[in-house]
Amino acid sequence: MATTDRPAVAAQPTGVADSGASEREVRSPVLEVVGVSKSFGGSPALVDVGLRLPSGEVHALVGGNGSGKSTLIRVLSGYHVPDSGEVLVAGKPLETGSPASSHALGCRFVHQDLGLVDSLPVLDNLYFGSRFPTRAGTIRTRRAIQHAEANLARVGLDVDPTTAVSSLPPATRTGVAVARSLWDAEDGDVKLLVLDEPTAALSVDDVEQLLAMVAAVASSGVAVLYVTHRIEEIFRIASTAWILRDGQMVSVRKVSGMRRQELIEDIAGRELDETDTAPVEVPRKTARDVVLTVRNLVAGPLDGVSFEVSSGEVVGVAGVTGSGRETLLQAVFGATEFEDGSVTVDGHLLARNDPVSSIRVGMAFLPADRRAAGGILDLSARENLTLADLAPLWQAPTLRLGLERSETDHWFERLGIRPATGQSLPLAVFSGGNQQKVLLAKWLRRRPRVLLLDEPTQGVDVAAKADLHRELLLAAGGGASVIVSSSDTDELVAICHRVLVLRHGCIVACLSGDDISVSRITLQLLGATDGAAA
Amino acid sequence: MKRGPAERMGLDRISGLYLLASFVLVFGVWKPHLFLTASTAHVVAEGQAVPAIVAIALLVPLVAGAFDLSVGASANLSAIVATVLQTHAHLSMWPAIAGAVCVSALIGVMNGFFVVRLGVSSFIATLGMATVVGAVQAMVSGDVQPLSPTTGAWTTLAQRQVGGFQVVVIYLLVVAVVAWWMLERTPVGRYLYAAGGNADAARLSGVRVGRWTWLSLIISATLSGVAGILYGSLSGPSLTFGASLLLPAFAAVFLGSTQIHPGRYNVWGTLLAVYALATGVTGLQLVTGVQWLNDLFNGVALLAAVSFAVWRQKRARKLARSHVLASRREAARRWVAGKNAAVESPQKANATAAASVEA
Repeated sequence: MATTDRPAVAAQPTGVADSGASEREVRSPVLEVVGVSKSFGGSPALVDVGLRLPSGEVHALVGGNGSGKSTLIRVLSGYHVPDSGEVLVAGKPLETGSPASSHALGCRFVHQDLGLVDSLPVLDNLYFGSRFPTRAGTIRTRRAIQHAEANLARVGLDVDPTTAVSSLPPATRTGVAVARSLWDAEDGDVKLLVLDEPTAALSVDDVEQLLAMVAAVASSGVAVLYVTHRIEEIFRIASTAWILRDGQMVSVRKVSGMRRQELIEDIAGRELDETDTAPVEVPRKTARDVVLTVRNLVAGPLDGVSFEVSSGEVVGVAGVTGSGRETLLQAVFGATEFEDGSVTVDGHLLARNDPVSSIRVGMAFLPADRRAAGGILDLSARENLTLADLAPLWQAPTLRLGLERSETDHWFERLGIRPATGQSLPLAVFSGGNQQKVLLAKWLRRRPRVLLLDEPTQGVDVAAKADLHRELLLAAGGGASVIVSSSDTDELVAICHRVLVLRHGCIVACLSGDDISVSRITLQLLGATDGAAA
Repeated sequence: MKRGPAERMGLDRISGLYLLASFVLVFGVWKPHLFLTASTAHVVAEGQAVPAIVAIALLVPLVAGAFDLSVGASANLSAIVATVLQTHAHLSMWPAIAGAVCVSALIGVMNGFFVVRLGVSSFIATLGMATVVGAVQAMVSGDVQPLSPTTGAWTTLAQRQVGGFQVVVIYLLVVAVVAWWMLERTPVGRYLYAAGGNADAARLSGVRVGRWTWLSLIISATLSGVAGILYGSLSGPSLTFGASLLLPAFAAVFLGSTQIHPGRYNVWGTLLAVYALATGVTGLQLVTGVQWLNDLFNGVALLAAVSFAVWRQKRARKLARSHVLASRREAARRWVAGKNAAVESPQKANATAAASVEA
């Protein structure tokens, strides 16, 4: 606790920022939030929250799902009117509830949903909200392009403005959104840039790119408030971390010298090891009966991948964007066509591109894109949960809805899905972590032989992440083969018996035992040991 | 969750029932001798049976996310085929009906081929099919309205009296119950809703999306064929009745999706919508005596229904979300209370927090 500015208790009425922070920061803060409270229908979302952010620094705002991060950001952007408290930007009070005032004071926001139109060129996206240079009513394209290039260069992007956004790598898209938010800003125009989970959908090397952009923006004197779920990024980019929990700013810590565990405890509010596997002690298994065999798989970027997974084993798949990691599980499950190779489960050769036959032999697949491919948002959580296996509920001539309800209750309880009584609500209204739990329950219910999970904890808060990890380790303990494909290296280190590293469509390393560490995996991912590994 | 007065009275779920009741009340007071009669009840119930069956036919592919704009054309062709087979080919009634049903099922098979196998948008495929079916109908009939079969069996098919009502009302109830059972009480219904909700996610959950979409199009074509045959038996083989069935069917299904089970296409909501609209139209016609009211009323109802459905869905999302947030905040509040009680010792506070999170 030596590096905390104040104890991790903020129940007394004074704002957090009043005490310790002012001694530390000599520069006057660009953003000053004083005693902001906000409640919705009597339930507090923010309780007396304070925050100070000087120019040219990157501060991280962290907290679990529902901790009040989004509410605070919406107060800053002028969307919510706080019940009490005040927000100062460069000393001037923000007219709360007025997005125009927020903009005029120099606050800019880049949200997780970037708000870009994918089918249009970068140029058109940049010019939303400002006028194209024209002559006699005709757009002066050359001039517009030069201007756009200059703006892109300011965030360190070298992109041809005429390329369509859809053809850009994810990190560059985020960069374009940042460039647009800073559009045409003269020195000192933009005081504050808020990035709301900019890396949630990015993989490791994309994150690197983005962090470099953020650093570039900060060095130009803009204060950056960086909202993230990913702990390691805080250490990389932020000087200070503000931790929100249940609507209160529970602590503010200087990042240098801060221990990871302390931060996680602050976020989670309980003694929670991120790698917490306490309820299940999974023995490190040696290969006994092989369940899944993949031979010479060729699909998209994958160029002849072979591996085996045994019963009870948790195998991780690591790889940067474009390495084939995103394609691997889809191809193994048969969600996408593959060109060559074979996938065998318990000796059954799987038909290509046929999820039904894969499911029949005991495969289960949790896709990375929860909203697009995982859940059916308009159907109730219950209907989502039972969709993959209705046979046990069917007793001619009817589905036994009572049985379905009680079975769903059981899964809600087991996975701690909130709201506990919400099984009839559409899946869309659940938080990301709870949606993911519902979708995992859908497969666990079938007692899968092979459980394929693609980015299982992306955009999920720390507590839900621990729950998900516990469940998949339990499944492995029950004899399932589990494959986790993740861009979150810490996650792989925490739960895997073995980690396959993909690079350029091939498996370049298979780490196990003590070899599984963030540094080893990262080295292999990036090809830092090229030659030695090959 | 707190429920407002509107929710308690069921205004969010059964506003159509209130609408129906208010129509009965208003026209009953206004023209009691004309409106509050058994014959009005019969006219409405029997007159809407065929449109209601067509609406249910349309409902099935809509659940699976496919439009079927050919339901009216299938119904019309089926009526003509059934008639022509009896009058020209001198088949007896049941083989003629079987032939007509097969023809309409074939329309569904072809719709499915274009939509599922070739991946043509259902809107375009069924619109094209409707046009083709219209041409086939002209070929079959020679563009002359065929004479109605004169057998007693043909007229009693839909007109036999059962409990004071024509039997066609019973057919409608049977169709509705079977459709409800299929959509709400069988895996097939789940698969259809899943396919309509998110085809990709459904496929990855092991739902054969293409197969069920195809089936839904066959069901809609076949069922509208049956509706067409009943229309022929009730009113004779008109060459043009099909087209006039399409719009009211859409109006009913869309308005129905705001009823009973809001946000979802459903059978009972559709029926409620059909009869609420028909009661309103009948009442207005009795009062004013003009005929164009029918189109005006249905058109306005379609616009109003879809607008209402969109609004209702947005609101439902918001309500449900606030429910979720409230439960999250309740946990937060308990946690804060626990922490305030243990402000002296941060360690103890953490323990309380952990306990309340787990609780």
